[in-house]
Amino acid sequence: METVLSIQKLTKNFGKLCAVNQLDLEVKRGQVFGMLGPNGSGKTTTLGMLMGVTNPSSGSFSWFGEPSTHLTRKKIGAVLEHPIFYPYLSGQKNLELNAMIKGANPANIVKVLDIVELSARKDDKYRTYSLGMKQRLAIASALVSDPIILILDEPTNGLDPMGIAEIREIVKRIAADGKTIILASHLLDEVQKVCTHFAVLRRGKLMHSGPVDEVGKGEETVEVMAYHDDLPVLLQEFIGSATIKKENGIFQVMMKDGFHSQDLNKFLFEKGIITSHLITKKKTLEKQFLEILAEAH
Amino acid sequence: MLHLLKIDLKKMTSYRTFWVICGLYFITLGFSTASGMEILKWIASKFEDFGSSLNVNRIPLYHFPDIWQNLIWFSGLFKLVLSIMVVISITNEYQYRTLRQNIIDGMSRFEFVLSKVLTNLLLSVMSVGMLLLIVMVTGLIYTPELIWSDILVGTEFLLAYFIEIFAFLSYALMLGVFVQRSGLTIVLLMLSHMIEAIIKVNLFRESLNPSIGWLKQFFPLESITNLVPLPFARYAFQEIQDYVSITAVAIALGWTFLFNYFSYLKLKKADI
Repeated sequence: METVLSIQKLTKNFGKLCAVNQLDLEVKRGQVFGMLGPNGSGKTTTLGMLMGVTNPSSGSFSWFGEPSTHLTRKKIGAVLEHPIFYPYLSGQKNLELNAMIKGANPANIVKVLDIVELSARKDDKYRTYSLGMKQRLAIASALVSDPIILILDEPTNGLDPMGIAEIREIVKRIAADGKTIILASHLLDEVQKVCTHFAVLRRGKLMHSGPVDEVGKGEETVEVMAYHDDLPVLLQEFIGSATIKKENGIFQVMMKDGFHSQDLNKFLFEKGIITSHLITKKKTLEKQFLEILAEAH
Repeated sequence: MLHLLKIDLKKMTSYRTFWVICGLYFITLGFSTASGMEILKWIASKFEDFGSSLNVNRIPLYHFPDIWQNLIWFSGLFKLVLSIMVVISITNEYQYRTLRQNIIDGMSRFEFVLSKVLTNLLLSVMSVGMLLLIVMVTGLIYTPELIWSDILVGTEFLLAYFIEIFAFLSYALMLGVFVQRSGLTIVLLMLSHMIEAIIKVNLFRESLNPSIGWLKQFFPLESITNLVPLPFARYAFQEIQDYVSITAVAIALGWTFLFNYFSYLKLKKADI
């Protein structure tokens, strides 16, 4: 797959503080790449350097295999931190301005306003918009040049649950179009729901990078319940059980490597027990994230 | 180039403050320069109330070729209004952080500065155009015996005026880029002449350094003022400099370049 972004040893110092430390990262075409990290872990600083507003202290990066210039940035749609627009201009005029700077076709404006469902309010001044509308206008402005890559930094920050769901839907729709998306967030749930790949940053250092699919791999936990007195004994007997815990009357069986819920189910069935409750619990990104951060200590 | 100018104008043309300040600038500039003769007449009528007489036609304020230097010197006083507009335009970009978004959207830092400089050029050209119009109309009305060759004498002051305005707007832009807060920048802008005067007075005390007085002309604001010398002393039978000095033009142009270059340098190095 074509490499869209390649970062080598990127570093940014603010005085004594090292905000980004020797960061190496690769993003390939078509990925929805989540950048995770606690607040202040260097996500926005990294994106700021990638977008030319923060000067790197050392290291380098390339977009599309070439060193970055302002011309490369025209091909990228980006919203960093919070939406930035001229408050005294209408949404429409702000987008016209964005399109002029990016050299985009102004005809796209109608389309992107439609995507973010702001067509009805396009002639109102930006300062009259609600936070959710501002975030949506920011996404519209990032889309106006029909970019190959979209960079979104905390796009759901400060939104209510409905707003979050709306933005998530928009991101999913854009991803379905085959665009490469880099999404910085501290909302793990959000990243797990929309991203294909993710990286974890902590104090400016890359802690982990890989596909989201792999998060669920590794040992499974199976929740099991049956109306049978011998259940705990049989669970102990099952050769695939690593540990067994009872929580709220339900058994949590941590499986050994190579064993899955169907093996347990088959075993119990052969012993004459029919389960009333059987759930495979994959590890969540949240759990993995906390583990990665814990390992770092 | 034109594209960059269009971008900056697009930011301005839907901004009410821009229209109010520019409107006030051109209206007050137009009316006050054009109505000097009426004021003289009013003064003369007051003189008559006291029994003495003043023949306004003997003061060739609006006569070619005097009119060029007279009106252009006076118009120079208004450039502060225009420069405040420039300060607002640049400090807004910092306050709203739109400068950051412009760069993210794919403007280079050089292009950003250039777009502001181009607007300054346009405002300077418009000021010159305004002055040309006023001088031609009032000059043709008030000059008693029109000699066509006289009209052209003194047009050099139009060029000097253009440099004066553009240099000062460049200075205002630079101040805005460095200070970034509109209120503080405007105060500094208004006090600039005063601050420079204080520095000059302390550096060039006759007793200390009698031989380096010629250095004064190299001070930035002094160099802008020197482009169009104060003309009115000639009506009190004094010698004045009634031409544009090439040295003054060279120094002012040098500063203009530096102001804009410093703006670019500052922006280039900054994390925004």
